Amino acid sequence: MTSTTRAIQLGRKERPKRGSLLLLVPGIASVVLLGILPLFIVARNSFAVADNYGGITDGLTFDNYAKLLDPVYSKTLFYSLGLGVLNTVVCLVVGYITSYYIVSRPPNRQGFLLLLVIIPFWTDFLVRTFAWITILGSGGPIAGVLGVFGVAGFSLIPSNVAVVLGLLYSFLPTAIFPIYASMRSIDPSLKEAATDLGCGWWGVHRRVILPLTGPGILGAALLTFIPTMGVFVIPVLLGGGKDPLVGNLIVTLYTEFRNQPMGAAASMVLLLLMLISMVLVGLGLKRSSAKKGA
Amino acid sequence: MKKLTTAAVGIVAVLALTSCSTGGSGDGASTELNVYAWADEIPQSVFDAFTEETGIKVNVDNFDSNETMISKLAAGNSGYDIVEPSQYAVQQLVGQDLIETLDKSKIEGIENLAPKFADPSYDPGLEHSVPWVWGTTGLLYNSACTGGEEITSWESLFDPKWKGKVNMLDNMLAAYIAGLQVNGYDADSTDEDEINAATESLIEQKPILSGYNSTNYGDLVASGDVCISEAWGGTSTAKIIEQNPDVHYVLPEEGGSLWVDGLSIAKGAPHQDAAYEFINFLLRPEIAAMATNDGGLASANAAAQEHVTDQGVLSNSAVYATDEEVANADFIVDPGEAMKYYQDGWTRVKAS
Repeated sequence: MTSTTRAIQLGRKERPKRGSLLLLVPGIASVVLLGILPLFIVARNSFAVADNYGGITDGLTFDNYAKLLDPVYSKTLFYSLGLGVLNTVVCLVVGYITSYYIVSRPPNRQGFLLLLVIIPFWTDFLVRTFAWITILGSGGPIAGVLGVFGVAGFSLIPSNVAVVLGLLYSFLPTAIFPIYASMRSIDPSLKEAATDLGCGWWGVHRRVILPLTGPGILGAALLTFIPTMGVFVIPVLLGGGKDPLVGNLIVTLYTEFRNQPMGAAASMVLLLLMLISMVLVGLGLKRSSAKKGA
Repeated sequence: MKKLTTAAVGIVAVLALTSCSTGGSGDGASTELNVYAWADEIPQSVFDAFTEETGIKVNVDNFDSNETMISKLAAGNSGYDIVEPSQYAVQQLVGQDLIETLDKSKIEGIENLAPKFADPSYDPGLEHSVPWVWGTTGLLYNSACTGGEEITSWESLFDPKWKGKVNMLDNMLAAYIAGLQVNGYDADSTDEDEINAATESLIEQKPILSGYNSTNYGDLVASGDVCISEAWGGTSTAKIIEQNPDVHYVLPEEGGSLWVDGLSIAKGAPHQDAAYEFINFLLRPEIAAMATNDGGLASANAAAQEHVTDQGVLSNSAVYATDEEVANADFIVDPGEAMKYYQDGWTRVKAS
């Protein structure tokens, strides 16, 4: 964290040359064309009026947002928030334990362990989700083992357990990396010192490692929580699609309902939630670094 | 430094240009054709044969839902010549003025089409589309799972006896086919009370359901995770039935429904002459038969049937439902103004 701020300060002192500014043009152009412009269009559409054929008419209305207050929609929103929080907590706990294990291995083994975490990313997300259907479904390995012990008809597809497992599997790597990064920079002698001064296993974690890993954990929380809210494949394939998430809602509004303005409004609400969570994390980071300074 | 500057400007220019480079030549014979079709519905062999005969290069893009296709066309400058909308999508595209009115004098072989597609309700006189392939919405069930019981009615999907073993298609209009017909109404109803009654049935049904799934419902039925599922007839369904003798596809006694995907010409298509040539090519009986031979789908072309290599498929209801079976089937047409009753209802179903 401190090294990045120093880099920024150093960068500010140097005067950018005109030529190097021009080199930034492609980058800026792609950010504007691919990021800001589409976002602006979605924001504009969220105040527009839908016509009967899925098009957009020029109009200015707050109806799209007002309609989202309907209990029917807000239920979906709260369900997504709940699932997002649950998945974040689960990913952080498992991610923390995994990171601690990796950090405690000899340095030459750590690279290999991290590679194991990355390997699943080489396969398509959808394929990996389908693999979970096989693992948890009837006819899968779990059902097979249970069958030997006389438990027939085991299948977790579809179920909420399968959804939570699927989400954990998908987002665990994004939780591990930030936590691992900040955990690795902790001087091992701090842990020894804490033990010498009478801290037990729990004390070492609670008073030393956890606070020092704080920024990484907050970053991991953000990286897990935000994408979880937008997921729409996992609830359908693993959970049976009976409880839609905000992601599913947006897809339905845009496609089946041919209601782009309302889809855009739901997207903006999701975006707002993400911004709020980022601000909260930002505040958390500030507080933890202020503490360190004192 | 100047070199770098020029390079940067060049890159930006290329970025800006690529977004509108899909257009093509206006005059003269086209050498290219841009097709936007359902995945796997026009077999590659058809495109190859067309290119071989005419020398026209075909560029194909696929979509997985009518809605995706419509929004892409609505965004403008798609550059597509031929699109392949389903029946209700034809109505929506006409309503949004996104497809051309066909010049019948340029079309040959339209008399080859089966009588039931010659003058369909969604596009009277086939002014905007030429039917290519068709299929049904019905029931897929696993007789090992139902204990040998034959499933013949939508009512099975609403029967608490099968709690946790029933799947519905995750598609509003498809779900309402079952919801409306089980109440004795037409699947293309635009009546508010009828649609509300269907909504109530679908809400009552939800606790019985294993889930809503229109992706891999066939596998779920084959594995027995689900005993009965609402299903679309077609290639994937036919394959599953072939592999597992316990799996059966039936059109429910309440009627079920028909879908048909046809060929239309996108508004302002850059290669109109090639587009007409392509439509005429696909109307030839021996080419239309390739939809069945290579694609596993039912062709809308009656004259194509004698060119089907596996004649058994003509009596396989998962592909070619017989005229008696589809006698009571409804075409799902665009609900128009009634769309909002469906949407409100479906939202309530999903949130219940």
